[in-house]
This record gives sequence, structure tokens and C-alpha cells, in this order.
Amino acid sequence: QEPRHLNSSHSSQMPHSPVNQLTLCSLLQMGFSQTQAEEMHEAALKSRGKHVPSVLTALFVLGFNPSSVLKILQKCPEVYSAKGEELQQRILNLRKMGLVEGSLQRMISHYPKVMVLPLKRVNAVSRLLKEKCHFTTQQVTEILRNSPEVLEEDLAQLEYKIQYTYFRMGVRQAEMVKSKLFRLPVSELRCRHSFLERRGLYQTPDKKGQTLILNPPLKDILCASEETFLMQVASANAEEFNAFRKLIARELEEEDKDEYSSSDE
Amino acid sequence: TKWAATRPKFPATELALHSFDKTYSVQFGDLWPSIRVAMLCEQKYGALINSFSSASGEITDLEAEGCRDFITIDCSRNEVHKSSQDPTTPHNDSTDVESAPLQTSITPDIKCLVFPRGDISRFKPARPDSSGILGYYLLDAASVLPVLALDVRPGQTVLDLCAAPGGKTLALLQAHSVNHLWANDLSVSRTGRLRKILQSYVPKEFLDEENIHITCIDGRELGMREEKSFDRVLVDVPCTTDRHSAVVEENNIFKRSRTKERQKLPLLQIQLLVAGIQAARQGGLIVYSTCSLSQLQNECVVQQAISVAQEELGITVQVQDLRWFTQRFSDTFHFAPQLSVGELVLPHLCANFGPIYMCKLQRMN
Ligand SMILES: C[S@@+](CC[C@H](N)C(=O)[O-])C[C@H]1O[C@@H](n2cnc3c(N)ncnc32)[C@H](O)[C@@H]1O
Repeated sequence: QEPRHLNSSHSSQMPHSPVNQLTLCSLLQMGFSQTQAEEMHEAALKSRGKHVPSVLTALFVLGFNPSSVLKILQKCPEVYSAKGEELQQRILNLRKMGLVEGSLQRMISHYPKVMVLPLKRVNAVSRLLKEKCHFTTQQVTEILRNSPEVLEEDLAQLEYKIQYTYFRMGVRQAEMVKSKLFRLPVSELRCRHSFLERRGLYQTPDKKGQTLILNPPLKDILCASEETFLMQVASANAEEFNAFRKLIARELEEEDKDEYSSSDE
Repeated sequence: TKWAATRPKFPATELALHSFDKTYSVQFGDLWPSIRVAMLCEQKYGALINSFSSASGEITDLEAEGCRDFITIDCSRNEVHKSSQDPTTPHNDSTDVESAPLQTSITPDIKCLVFPRGDISRFKPARPDSSGILGYYLLDAASVLPVLALDVRPGQTVLDLCAAPGGKTLALLQAHSVNHLWANDLSVSRTGRLRKILQSYVPKEFLDEENIHITCIDGRELGMREEKSFDRVLVDVPCTTDRHSAVVEENNIFKRSRTKERQKLPLLQIQLLVAGIQAARQGGLIVYSTCSLSQLQNECVVQQAISVAQEELGITVQVQDLRWFTQRFSDTFHFAPQLSVGELVLPHLCANFGPIYMCKLQRMN
């Protein structure tokens, strides 16, 4: 459901003074139906959230209607236990990162977890993308908008994944942003890339950025389904790819072990 | 950093791959990417069961891990298929392999266990029995095929012209029927390895000169010296060892410094095969094999050697059809379609053996 923009009818339904207790009655007043209100009441109690009304306020302020609010909370019950003030701050922070009206709401309804991630975490990811990986501010916004999951990724893994894509595959930031790179684990990236590379269908560009063959674009390599990838990019069958997946996983595992034992010496 | 890892400017493996891409993409067309990726991944092994070992339970243990002897499985399966599909092929479930027609028999007693298709499990190292003899030898399972194709019969004499380090020699010896085996290799150090391997797999009493003769001479000279002496000759020549060359930098024949040697390989291969043909007696069988995909080192060498034998030595040889053979083993190996002579096992991710090329010849006069 599309979130609605802030409007006066919503603000008039909201309680004026901060209410710490959540009653069925106040939920009904906010516009939840009887069954919605009951469900929410129960979930809120279970979560032991102390500031539920202020959480709801923060969501209403964003323009969500009662059923969208309920959906968001069903998806991510952790939000119940947040503080309204924290939420406001986090939302403000996202706005500062360029998530404007519309995309901000879409992000929150698609990935409500963003509201419980500490500011520090979000800023660290953004800094890593900008400072270490040289994405522009606009690109970072686009990444967050399309793949908010990136905010949860381990920073070292994320950096490695981007380095791998940049150096090993010769892909520039602008192309990365257009692909599913930030939604997939690095293991999947390496698996698909190595498969193509060993089949002779992908080459690391030389210093001048040249290759002898035409590399498939990153967005095709990471395209939705494995079948499409196998059929349209790798021209291989699933049986081969399954065997390859097992082999490459073992290779990487042993590579890690080697690295570990050599740094041990 | 991780990225600027130091490596030579032109690693030999890269030169090898580049050369393969050029020739094999033409030779194999659409099949090439699938061969290429397999060669660049870990190969599969087979456990050649050592019948000299008294360690019991090796086979049962391996079978418990999911391995099967590909020789018996594939043979029994095809026996059934043949009788229903191809009435022209001679077959009889009740006759044993020995009495089957020469053309379609498989040396008994050789057992080679492999993990099933798509299974990437590895073998544990073999254990020694009470007298120190190891229970099995790990090798590319496809390299047993040339030995099977050679079809050694009881009491026959066998020449293994390029024998070191000895995987195929060991397979030859498993068919206890070999009366006398001459194992030769030009390289002193590799012949040393051959001796060591035989010592770990064959009991001392069996290793006397009567049974096994090991020499270290140029195989090309043996043709003349031992003319018409052997019932069976295995010519497993030096080649570009494609799988090794694609992944291992060390000892790589695609190093710039070895260009000449590499270019001379087909000539050496022809000479060795001609020598092998010469050493075979009339009616004797010769199997030529390589672990390369290259037409120039496979079919072309065979064709050249046949005409050299005819024109320069007056020896007529006939190419033996191995299609029945590849049909039998097609569950375990991927064979190349439509070669002009011989058969070729193609590496494939689900059955990552080979490459192994083999061609079987019979000396007619
Ligand atoms: C492919 S390897 C043989 C592998 C062996 N048959 C096995 O199964 O373990 C080729 C061998 O040919 C030997 N060789 C090279 N030139 C030779 C020659 N002129 N005469 C005899 N052997 C030669 C090499 O030393 C090498 O050991």
C-alpha cells in the first residue's frame, strides 16, 4: 500500500499530549479498526515497548495510514520498543542522506528495520561507501534506496565485495549502483563471476580498461534468477553450476584457511 | 593489498590458457567453455585398487563412502542395454569376459572406484597393509581407460614405453595376467619415482627382473632394438598436459623458455608411436595416449605415425574401433563427439576427469 503524505486529518486524530499508555481506545481514535487495534495492542504489550504512542506518532507523521503502520510493525516488531525521539532522529538522518519524500516511505515500508538501526551504524556504512569506496553522495542515496539491506552488512565484507567488483571485475561505481550487488552476499558474486571467468566469458580489464572479449554487464550477471543467469549469460546448465558452486565454496574455504595459517606463522 | 598480488608478468598458466582459447574454441566450439571451467577446477580422482595389497576392507570402506567401481558398473549396465538395443553387437550374459570376442572385452581384475557424478568428495590417503603395501593408488580415473583398451591377456608380454611415474604401469600389473612387463622412461628422476611407486604397491617377490624390467632409455630407440617383440605396447607420450598447464605454474611447458620443446612435441610423439608400432609383434595391439585435448598431438600424430610406419617401415597398422568402449563408460566420463581417430575424455564439472586421448592400433604384418 502506498504511504500517504502527511495531512491534517491525521494530525487531528493524534493525541495531543505524549501518552505513555497505549489503550485500545486510543488506538481506535487513531483510526485503527477494532481488529487492527486489538492485534496491535497485544503485540505492543508483548514487546514491552514503553513509548509505543510516540512511535506511532512518528509513523503517522511520515504519512502512513493505520493499516500501513500495522504492516510495518508486523514486519518488524522491534520498532515497538524504540523511542519516538530516536525514530525521529533516524528518519531525519535518512532525509539528510537524500532520501526524499516518497522514497523514504517506500524504504521504511519495504525495510522497516532501518528504523531500529543506530545512527552510528548507518553513518558508518555511508562513510565507508563515500570515503573508502568513492561513491558520490547521490550514488550512496541510490544504494540506500534500492538496497537498504546494505546497512546491515559487515563493513569489512562490504568493502571487500566492492573492491572485488572494482579491481577484479573492472566495474565502476556507477555500474555497481545499477546492479543487485548490494543485495547479494560476496560469495554469490564470486561464484557467478568465477564461473564466467573460468568459462572464458569474463576478463579482468588491463590497466587501460581493455579486454579481449566483451564482458557481460554486472547487472546481467547478478540478475534475478539463477536460470536466467545460466541461460542468458553463462550458457551453462544447472548441473554444472551446482557442481561448480560446491567446488568454489571449498576453494574459498581452503583459501581462508591458508591465509589464516600463514598469518599465524 | 590483496589486489596487487605479485605475479610474473606473463605467467605460463596464462600463456597456456591463451593458447587453449585460441585453438580449442575452434576445435570444440560450444563445448569449450564447459571444458575450460572444468580444467580450471579441482579434478576428480579414482582409487585404483591394488590387488597386491592384503589389506582387507578397502573396497568396502570406499563403497561405504559412496564410491563405486566404474569398470564393473558401466560394464554390467551396458550389457543389459546392448541386448535390448543393439542386436548386432555380439553379447551373451552367460559367457565370461575372457571368451567374449576380442573386440569388446574388458580386462578383468582392474578395479577403479570413483565418487558418483556431481559428488566432489575426496579420497583419504591409502593405508599400508601389514607388509607396507598400499591399498589403492589415486589417479585420474580416465587414465585407466588406455590400459583397459590395451586389453592384456594372460601370458602376454607388454611394453610400457613412457612409463613414469607409473600410474598406468600399476594398472597394467593389476591384471595378473601380464607375463612380462617392460617399463621404460627417458627421465632418470621420473624412473626413480616409478621404482618407488612400484615398491610401495607391488610385493618384492613380484618385482624381480623376470617379471618387470625397468629401463631408462630413449623410447625412440626401443622400436629398432626390440622389433616385433611385444603383444601389447602402451605409448603414453609426453604432451602439453593441458590440465596441469592451465593451473600449475611450476614445471609448466608453456613457459617462454620451453617454446621450442613444446613445438617439437608432435614430432617426438610421432616418433615414439612409430617406435611402439615397431616393437609390437604381428597382430599385436598398440594404444597411444595423451592427456591433451590438442588435435595436433592426438589425431594428427596417429595419422602421421600410421603413414610413416607404412611408408618408411612397411608396417601396416589398423585403427581399432573404440566406440563400444566409450559407450560402456559414458555414465562415468564425457567423451568428445566425432573424432576422426581415437576417443577423447573431456573434462566436465560433473565428471571432472581427463583430458585423456587414446587410440588403439593393431599391427597387421
Ligand atoms: C605422460 S608421461 C607418462 C605417464 C605414465 N605413463 C603414467 O601413467 O604414470 C610421459 C613420460 O614420457 C617420458 N618421456 C619423454 N620423452 C621420452 C622418450 N624420448 N622416451 C621415453 N620416455 C620419454 C617423460 O619422462 C614422462 O615421464
